[in-house]
Amino acid sequence: MIGNDHAEVEETLKRIQSHKGVIGTMVVNAEGIPIRTTLDNSTTVQYAGLLHQLTMKAKSTVRDIDPQNDLTFLRIRSKKHEIMVAPDKEYLLIVIQNPCE
Amino acid sequence: MTPGKHSRAFARAANAGFGVQGLQKQRGKRRVTIPQPVATMPVSPVNGRRQPSVGVNVGLAPRKSISFVGASKGALMKGGYAGANQSRMAMSKNMMILPEAKQVEKMTISSAKTITQVTDINGVDVTPRPLYRPDPYSSTGKPNKLLTSQDGSHTSDFIASHSLYQNTINPSMLGQFTRSVLGSSTVSKSTVSTTESMAEDLEEPSFKRERLSSFTDLQVMRATTGKIITKEDLEKTIEIILTETETMNFLNLPTVMFSVESEEAEKVSQRNKNYETLCRNRLGNDLYVERMMQTINGAPKNKDVQCDKILKEEKGIMSTAWDLYDSYNAMELSTLPPKRPMMDSSSKASVPSKDWEQSVPGSNLEKISEGSSLMDIENVILAKVRDEEEDNSDAVFKSDKFQQDLFFMERVIMENIFQPKLAAYRQLPVLKEPEPEEPGDFLVDGKLEEVEEEAKKEEEEDLEIDSEQSTIPANLERLWSFSCDLTKGLNVSSLAWNKANPDLLAVGYGHFGFKEQKRGLACCWSIKNPMWPERTYQSPYGVTAVDFSIGSPNLLAVGYHNGTIAIYNVQNNSNLPVLDSSESPQKHLGPVWQLQWIEQDRGTTGDDKREILVSISADGRISKWVIRKGLDCHDLMRLRRTTASTSKKGGEKEKKGEALISRQAPGMCFAFHPKDTNIYLAGTEEGHIHKCSCSYNEQYLDTYRGHKGPVYKIAWNPFCHDVFLSCSADWGVIIWQHENLKPFLSFYPTTYVVYDIAWSPKSCYIFAAANESRVEIWDLHISTLDPLIVHVANPGIKFTTVLFAKQTDCLLVGDSDGQVAVYELKNMPTTLDSNRGDVIVTLLGPKSSQA
Repeated sequence: MIGNDHAEVEETLKRIQSHKGVIGTMVVNAEGIPIRTTLDNSTTVQYAGLLHQLTMKAKSTVRDIDPQNDLTFLRIRSKKHEIMVAPDKEYLLIVIQNPCE
Repeated sequence: MTPGKHSRAFARAANAGFGVQGLQKQRGKRRVTIPQPVATMPVSPVNGRRQPSVGVNVGLAPRKSISFVGASKGALMKGGYAGANQSRMAMSKNMMILPEAKQVEKMTISSAKTITQVTDINGVDVTPRPLYRPDPYSSTGKPNKLLTSQDGSHTSDFIASHSLYQNTINPSMLGQFTRSVLGSSTVSKSTVSTTESMAEDLEEPSFKRERLSSFTDLQVMRATTGKIITKEDLEKTIEIILTETETMNFLNLPTVMFSVESEEAEKVSQRNKNYETLCRNRLGNDLYVERMMQTINGAPKNKDVQCDKILKEEKGIMSTAWDLYDSYNAMELSTLPPKRPMMDSSSKASVPSKDWEQSVPGSNLEKISEGSSLMDIENVILAKVRDEEEDNSDAVFKSDKFQQDLFFMERVIMENIFQPKLAAYRQLPVLKEPEPEEPGDFLVDGKLEEVEEEAKKEEEEDLEIDSEQSTIPANLERLWSFSCDLTKGLNVSSLAWNKANPDLLAVGYGHFGFKEQKRGLACCWSIKNPMWPERTYQSPYGVTAVDFSIGSPNLLAVGYHNGTIAIYNVQNNSNLPVLDSSESPQKHLGPVWQLQWIEQDRGTTGDDKREILVSISADGRISKWVIRKGLDCHDLMRLRRTTASTSKKGGEKEKKGEALISRQAPGMCFAFHPKDTNIYLAGTEEGHIHKCSCSYNEQYLDTYRGHKGPVYKIAWNPFCHDVFLSCSADWGVIIWQHENLKPFLSFYPTTYVVYDIAWSPKSCYIFAAANESRVEIWDLHISTLDPLIVHVANPGIKFTTVLFAKQTDCLLVGDSDGQVAVYELKNMPTTLDSNRGDVIVTLLGPKSSQA
């Protein structure tokens, strides 16, 4: 079962990466070390560090308003890309997509 | 430190007493009982660094030297020690240690030893006594001559105590000690022997220690200096008498409240009353006059105290509402045993039992924290860290949360990619983002203000265009299509919406023809992810029918080309069907062409609606399946072959046609009446449509003859319950009326087989038909001769299924290439009365029959 799940996870990651407009996919652990990334290491580390801080701040904001609430997803849309972050205690899943058709 | 404190207190008290009394030099008087040394030592605190100002010693001519020499040099001088010394030392010999031996020496030795005695008014001696009274017998060593100089008044007691105390002196200090002693010994007018002794001592530095040890003791016991303790002395029993001292009252706070019931209550209340009257009388009374007085203020004295440097440490912590909430929750959950042997949990301190519940990732985290805390062995760390990184990454991948996050992420990406299309599907306004140079981008609900302004302008333009566009004919706009690698090349055979979740679509892939059979696939697609199905159920046989259950919307029934019916639970990810009819003895022997879940009233027993699964297959049976322990099959109807006898009445059908090889007619489709679930229509391969009832399983109620080829689909009009539509392989679409056995309206738009038809859920006039080459949308209100919209297929692709979306104006069309395309119906003409049920009848006219 674990093996199946793992294969499914791999497949999903590959699919995500191959979707239209996706520039990069990163999975970073809680310490900022990339577990899996499709970008180069320096960019990954940079994204990981910055997004980690932002995620913490966003999470703190959400929970300050209501402690029973929690942050599930974070999307930052900029002129050029959209950065989507799925935060968790142990990892950060980051996808950068260019949403223009 | 305790003795020290006390000693200090003594000193101060002594000083105070001193101030009151003045020095009392008692030489020659021996005070046995109350030894008080206190020397006129200036009270400077134990750690006094400066020379005690002798100012305190009022009236004392001879200056006291020494005493607290600045203990700056690392003195071991502990405050208490010094203090103790101070107090004990009868003579201000403070041995306070310290290194300033030279300084000490310089000091005059002329300090007079005085014993300060405190007496009160009545002449009672109230000088404070030292707490520690050393046993005079315990002193050893030769008498310290230095101390002999002290006034004879020195009692042995305190000296002895002093000496004992001295025994604990740090030998390293001894040197200075002696010196200081020397210097400090107040020889004064005492005996000359002091000087002599001093001289001797100076010459004999080697005896310092010994001297020190016996420093003050035995001084007093001059008489017994040479006494040798004999054995008898040791064996003498010494009486120790313990007596209780009188009670000393330190604090007496009389009560100010009396109970009402006590004896004095009366007196007290009387006194209170007197006082009240007194107060009242006070106002105008001459006896009470306000007057000012000046009180003499005593001269204040400033006192400085110096202490050790107070070490400060700053510690900050972030306190937020959620932090507090988490801490409280963690406290509640702290009953869970903390199994992890975490040594340094600083980084993972925030991991409460929540992580502990996550089995795999939690344990890996523990390992990591352990690994990270083993800072001393780097090799081990590196090895461990590497291992744990792999473990951790695996753990991350295996965690459910990660899969869920991936799932959401994919959907979010899809949303970005398909945003305008999805918005159109859901009929949300699509706002365009202005781009100066970059290619167009779309926003949902305008997040930027600029965008909103621009979008408004564009909306106005759009509105203008819309009004212009009303002249543009209705058309189908293709939004997207559900397709993926898995489904490529397969033929879409059936479509069904989920009853509970309007975004979930079940698609069955399988070929119709016997020769073309390939593997089959049933997929569940979600609108939110058009690029990959949520569930896929593969099978070696082609799928010919799918339907979602109404009562349990997670059950999906799939019918296969080999006659098997399988029921899947789409909630879990498993690929195995929950129920399978392949082993049932009454399973179908031919392809199951249609499946439908029907909620039937169990009129007889009065139960709630029970759901049954009805299937029709090419072996000529319509059966209903009930889920009890497995699929139970029950035949609703056996379709018998009938001959086309238009002239004769319906009663003689069975008799004719006996010579046919098989009496069963393959059933292709069925449709239950929307209101009365007992009545249903069944279409056969012969081209007949039979009206049947669930109550009768032998006979048809009616037969509608009109088609010349197999009837592929029958559909009741959702608004007008008397009208139904049928399509067949004879290229025709026929509208029937319930009571009329002849076709009402027939359409033969093309020369291609019509595979599927569907009524629009929004209007009773509109229906869609899919034939091999094109999809047609008919609007009966506008025209009964031509379709409203015609959408031609790409060459090589046939349209096989069609389905309307319920809440939106969209149409799903499945084709033979495995794609299910979603089209939006645009610019459909709206009619006001399209929802009324009877309009179609009035439109079509009563019982008109057209060929």
